[in-house]
Amino acid sequence: MPQAAERKALEKGLKKLNENMVTLAELAELSIRKAVDGLTRLDPEVAQEVFTLDQEVYGLQLEIERTCIDLLALHAPVARDLRTITTSLKITTDLDRIGRYGKDLSELTLQFRDRHIVEREDVARILEMADRTISMVDTAIEAFVHRNAESVRNIIEVDDAVDQLHDENFKDIVRRMMEGKLNIDTGARYLLVNRYFERIADHAVNIGLRVVYMVTGDWLPRVRAADRAKRRDEGSAKSTP
Amino acid sequence: MATKLRVESVSAWYGEKLAIQDITMDIEEHMVTAVIGPSGCGKSTLIRCLNRMHETIPKARVEGKVLLQGEDIYASSPVSVRRRIGMVFQKANPFPTMSIYDNVAAGLRLNGVRNRDELDKAVLASLKQAALWDEVKDSLDKSGASLSGGQQQRLCIARALAVKPEVLLMDEPCSALDPIATAKIEDLIFDLKKDFTLIVVTHNMQQAARVSETTAFMYLGKLIEVSNTRELFERPREALTESYITGRFG
Amino acid sequence: MKFPFDRDTRRRWIDLAMSGAAFVCVVIAIIPLGSILIEASVRGLRSLSPAVLTATTGQGGIGNAIQGTLILILLSALVSLPVGILTGIYLSEFGKNRLGAAVRFFVEVMTQVPSMVVGIFVYSLVLELGLIGLGSPRLVFSTISGVLALSTIMVPFVARTSEEALRLVSIAVRESALALGIPRHRTILRVVVPSASSALVTGGLLGIARVAGETAPLLVTAFGNNDWFRGLDQPIESLPHTIYIWATGPYVAQNQAAWGVSLVLVLMMLGLSIASRVVIRLRSVSR
Repeated sequence: MPQAAERKALEKGLKKLNENMVTLAELAELSIRKAVDGLTRLDPEVAQEVFTLDQEVYGLQLEIERTCIDLLALHAPVARDLRTITTSLKITTDLDRIGRYGKDLSELTLQFRDRHIVEREDVARILEMADRTISMVDTAIEAFVHRNAESVRNIIEVDDAVDQLHDENFKDIVRRMMEGKLNIDTGARYLLVNRYFERIADHAVNIGLRVVYMVTGDWLPRVRAADRAKRRDEGSAKSTP
Repeated sequence: MATKLRVESVSAWYGEKLAIQDITMDIEEHMVTAVIGPSGCGKSTLIRCLNRMHETIPKARVEGKVLLQGEDIYASSPVSVRRRIGMVFQKANPFPTMSIYDNVAAGLRLNGVRNRDELDKAVLASLKQAALWDEVKDSLDKSGASLSGGQQQRLCIARALAVKPEVLLMDEPCSALDPIATAKIEDLIFDLKKDFTLIVVTHNMQQAARVSETTAFMYLGKLIEVSNTRELFERPREALTESYITGRFG
Repeated sequence: MKFPFDRDTRRRWIDLAMSGAAFVCVVIAIIPLGSILIEASVRGLRSLSPAVLTATTGQGGIGNAIQGTLILILLSALVSLPVGILTGIYLSEFGKNRLGAAVRFFVEVMTQVPSMVVGIFVYSLVLELGLIGLGSPRLVFSTISGVLALSTIMVPFVARTSEEALRLVSIAVRESALALGIPRHRTILRVVVPSASSALVTGGLLGIARVAGETAPLLVTAFGNNDWFRGLDQPIESLPHTIYIWATGPYVAQNQAAWGVSLVLVLMMLGLSIASRVVIRLRSVSR
């Protein structure tokens, strides 16, 4: 029966796609972890490893795109297959970006290294941001690998906390620069590090939301914390007569 | 959109054999509803119950109601029902001894219309609606069988449209045609829905996805799922539907 | 013995041999037909002339025989074709039940009844009816009687060929007509029957050809007449009858002349066949 043969080819393609996606996700996560490790210990070798990883991530992403386009062209997939393939296509961008931020963090590592300037205080804060961010990335990737939508339904709330931490750090760094307690050159780079983690968390949110779509078909819109707060206030204003 | 046709708990038998069971669905007007499902699921039987053709088979039986704008078609005469609900079949079958003109005019002529002007107008309008006029306007007296497969099918569509039905049933209209002829008919379906309500039975899921707003999935004589086409193909509710449309049946 | 050739060559030879054998069989089958035509033409032409064709058998010609055959065929056709075709329509469109099966069986049996038996049956029937007051016993030897006999042979034949002709019309044609909201009777009369028209016409012509050459039943019904047609209630001459009388008569000249009559009969059948084909061709061209 021709239908059965077509499914075998599609199944094979989907399996390969999934394997590549898992590898890509693992590489991206590894990239961040190594970057954070390199940054906190100011280790140039680790930074170099991250650069190499970034190349791999990019190459794999291209291959995955290729695979997705082929599957769409040849098999006209529907339902779950369609959602899986289109989600994979979108998520690769987020994973690639995550990998890139790892590379960016490693570049900063090399710049800091030259100046031996990372303070204990700052390391603690960086580690806290890093932990939460890496945890979000890990959750999102696990959700993708295990096709578990429940674990990421509240990823937006977790992101809210990271955003808040980012805002606090930002204010703190600026204050210290203004008070002269922090070298401006260093402070600027801290701001970047802060920023990168916030962005990585955002990408993790994207991945999480897309995983929910892939598994259930529900579109959860990305609503920013400020807007959500506004809606909540509007809601309570409406319900009180 | 208003409901044109309401199918209420329709079941049908061939002798003792139950072919479709307890089907209930609404058909919206000026839209295309596709019916999909594996061979033998009862989709052809279902639409043949909608224009009372099922009962022309000896020992065939129908139960349930089919309401065309509120009136039960099983309470009227079959002939009057079939004038309001037309049908196009899988294999194009123009009347063999009649010319193109006579084929299109047959439904009117054989129901008593004799006025040549009226017939001319109807033939022109129907052939235009079926996107066939330009191709045959200079050879209306040629035999219907002298056309290509795709043209013959459009001729049959023109013939069905000439009696000005409200609903048009199409039973796998493209399955005997090549991709180009199929594309022409699909375009035609798209144009027809502004004047008619269409129900298309097809075994080609991509076709159902391309032409319809609503899709109904049948299996083993039962209606498994009916919903908005995009919903059905993006995230079907039933696991059975998902198995079928992703080709992972059995 | 070992086959020297490989499979392919062997197959080709067998193929050739079979084709050759089929061809030979065709030739063998055609020989009698061909020789009849040739013999009839060669011997028959000698004895035909305008005088012969216009004189009655009483005067040594065959004019009244030709007229008789034509009248008998025409009247039988007039009776049998409608009855036969309508029966065919009934069987094909409505006969899927037990009654239809019974009628079909009956028709089938009727086509097998020997024509002599039909003749005797009609003879007895007309006689009995005459004796009880319907018509008269004299009618046993008359045109009407002959027409009755020929019709009895023709009706089941035409019914069967008509049913087959109508069966050949695809069910798709019927369905599309019904789906247009055309009532059943009009579907049958104005769509199905016209679609089968050439097959029906052929069936009718075959029926006519079948009875045109019947001699046996006419011996005891139409009987024979040396004069022109005198009336429906009078005996009537026919070509097969003339052939029979002349070919078995004691005069050699008459025996020879029988060939001429045969030729006329054959030509008449040929003419009918050609005419029907022309009619069918004309009808399909005009579409």
